[in-house]
Amino acid sequence: MAHFKIQNVTFTYPEERLPALSDVSLSVAPGEFVVLCGPSGSGKSTLLRLLKREVSPGGRMSGSILLNDSPLHEWTSREAAAMVGLVMQNPDNQLVVDTVEHELAFGMENFGLDRDVMRRRMAEMAGFFGLEPLLGRRTDELSGGQKQTVNLAAVLMLQPRVLLLDEPLAQLDPLAARELLAMIKRLNDEWGISVIMCEHRLDDLLPLADRVVRLDCGRIVFDGKPRDFAAEAWNRNDADWISALPSITRWAIEQGPQAFVEPPISVKEARLWLHKRGNPTQYAREHSNSTVEPTRHGEPLLSADQIFFAYDKHSPAVLRGVDWQIRRGDWGVLFGGNGSGKSTLLQLLAGIRMPQRGSVKWGKAPLSRKHSKEQIGAIGYLAQSPVLHYAHDTLLEDLKHAANRAGIQDAEQEARAMADRFGIAHLLTRHPHDMSGGEQQIGALAMILLAKPQMLLLDEPTKGLDPQAKKRLATYLKNIHTQGTTILMATHDVEFAAAYANRCSLLFHGEIVADGEPEPFFRGEFVLHHTYAPAAERTC
Amino acid sequence: MTDSFGFRSLHPFTILLYYAGGITFGMLLFHPLILLAGWAAAVVVNLHLDGGREWRRWTVPMAVGCLLILLMNPILSHRGRTVLYYFGDMPITLESVVYGMTLALSMLNLLTLFITYRLVMSEQKFLFLFSRLSPKAALVAMMALGMVPRLRRRLQELMLIQRSRGITVTEGSLAQRARNGTRIVGTLLSWTLEDALQTADSMQARGYGTGRRSGYAGFRFRSRDMWTVSALTACAVLLLGVWASGYGFMKVYPNLGSFRLITGDQVALAGYITYLLLPLGWEWRDRKSWRTLKYKM
Repeated sequence: MAHFKIQNVTFTYPEERLPALSDVSLSVAPGEFVVLCGPSGSGKSTLLRLLKREVSPGGRMSGSILLNDSPLHEWTSREAAAMVGLVMQNPDNQLVVDTVEHELAFGMENFGLDRDVMRRRMAEMAGFFGLEPLLGRRTDELSGGQKQTVNLAAVLMLQPRVLLLDEPLAQLDPLAARELLAMIKRLNDEWGISVIMCEHRLDDLLPLADRVVRLDCGRIVFDGKPRDFAAEAWNRNDADWISALPSITRWAIEQGPQAFVEPPISVKEARLWLHKRGNPTQYAREHSNSTVEPTRHGEPLLSADQIFFAYDKHSPAVLRGVDWQIRRGDWGVLFGGNGSGKSTLLQLLAGIRMPQRGSVKWGKAPLSRKHSKEQIGAIGYLAQSPVLHYAHDTLLEDLKHAANRAGIQDAEQEARAMADRFGIAHLLTRHPHDMSGGEQQIGALAMILLAKPQMLLLDEPTKGLDPQAKKRLATYLKNIHTQGTTILMATHDVEFAAAYANRCSLLFHGEIVADGEPEPFFRGEFVLHHTYAPAAERTC
Repeated sequence: MTDSFGFRSLHPFTILLYYAGGITFGMLLFHPLILLAGWAAAVVVNLHLDGGREWRRWTVPMAVGCLLILLMNPILSHRGRTVLYYFGDMPITLESVVYGMTLALSMLNLLTLFITYRLVMSEQKFLFLFSRLSPKAALVAMMALGMVPRLRRRLQELMLIQRSRGITVTEGSLAQRARNGTRIVGTLLSWTLEDALQTADSMQARGYGTGRRSGYAGFRFRSRDMWTVSALTACAVLLLGVWASGYGFMKVYPNLGSFRLITGDQVALAGYITYLLLPLGWEWRDRKSWRTLKYKM
């Protein structure tokens, strides 16, 4: 059993004036499940990395970090590495070697373990995680959720007593995130491994955690039970605090203070609570907060006409006869499970891929006949990883390039004006790869909007964003939409969709199987209702 | 057949020994008939392993190579006493034609055998051997293997998106395309390096560099490896003995000797063929067990 004791830690990055952490004291008992939350830049990642000596950032630190009562820096390198395991955000970048089996063995090889010991642990761990069928597979063939499971299992091969998790769910779809979280909870419950986890979204996390610690500007501002955290957030009435709460709790809070004594932190609790108060559906319906009027009779702007698409001759078709129209003024949302072809459909609609059968039409004319110059004025496409949109050394150059291509006379001035509009003027001289995920996204959006497209296609724009960044993105999108741009986005984020969209569609098995306004859409879908329960609950 | 049966089931070390010997003797023995027989044996090995599919894919390059040697040797070398023909004032001798033929056969022999190497020595087996030599280099090789598909996929994604921004290698002037190409590759590399820092963190976090490393990939040296190694060694000793006593060659220069195989040559031939076909014994044995199983069912 291991426990961490962090005493009066103050940490300053080199060449920074203000400390990233100031006077942080925290003690984590053996077997405890602690969630670190707080806005971006609050120092939660820094704190987590200071607990893992091998990846600690350089800088000045005062105070002490004790692991099992001896200072962390006095541990031998092998013991320290084995005792504390770390899983990071990006599933891809943590994979070191080519196959799953090798990846799992990698840590044990580093420790020079005997082959017999390695095989036994491999058997145990593969059994626990259900990884046996994947052992011979190449790691790059796996889905994001599988990759992250492999990363977790690979860390556990060293039999750590403390597990540090740095936003491990941020890049996963809701289903995979829940599976991984369930696994983490099992490790905590059954193996007694202490878990310290950083995360923006507390939706499924709050009911599982033993303790919530909130950091703000490098200081601990809350340390206590999840339920108390929800109450504290309510009492403070601070948008930042409330945005970190699970959506179900937020919804309950919006009902007014008299409505509850203890805020519900899970859907089940909320149901019980509603039940006590009377008819839940009636209550919820009053509260539907879709703000935009639906467009039932607009002219079709972009339409898919019997689209079939497969990635190669021998693989099965991803899209099988999609027949779908997006009308002027729509703010459409495309739902669908992992691998249902959402991204593919968006790329086809954007004209950057061509269907093998069927056609995409802009107005009445096929999109493929349009010249590429005309196309960029018509349709803007934002990829799932915004980093793909950059090719220059600074953000300014990328914006200028985009402005030039859009045929703007004074490219530099326009680029700067756009940066001002999106609040990224201070990043203009920054290398795009040095910006955070949220900043990259806004930057890429600015680049696309320079061409003033009539239609904007976004592929999972809220993935990996913290609540503040998400809110910023929503404000910009709302502006653009009010100014007459039609928006279509593929997402897993039901809550975001429900708050802003005026049309929802579900892609399943290569076809659009449901299409309608948000309210009837969510009310009708039993499965969606459950998959995305908390958010759906909020809207219908 | 999978890695668990037949020739492929042997230990990487046994396989390495087989190919080392096969190639050495393919070069030491220099008699057209022996080499022809060796080539036939190598073809038989090919046929057993994958029905000769891989071998057929290499037919054209191999034929071209042999033809080149066959033609070049008489043109470049004018040794030998029997002049067949004058090409301008260049004598083409019978001896150099035969020598070229033998050389071509020898090369064909080695190439045919080497095609089976690719079938039998899988990536895993190779890395296993390699990690014995240098664990670090083997790790780098393994990481590189993991990296290649990742890079390829990223490049595809990057090109797809950048094309929508007008940065493409398929449109515009040649200079423009070249500039765009370097831009895309540069972005790919800096993006990948950025991510490599996280990979490095992940390695450190799992105790990389804290001391001696061990290897997980394990192949057991079983009794059939023992048998194979012994038999191969016996054949090799015999062949070396015969070779050292001057058999297994054909006298070509200065004037052509006889094609006839005398006793010593016959022993060399028998030894060489046995050596090459030895591992197929396991192939036959394991196939038979499948047949027996089927009859019983």
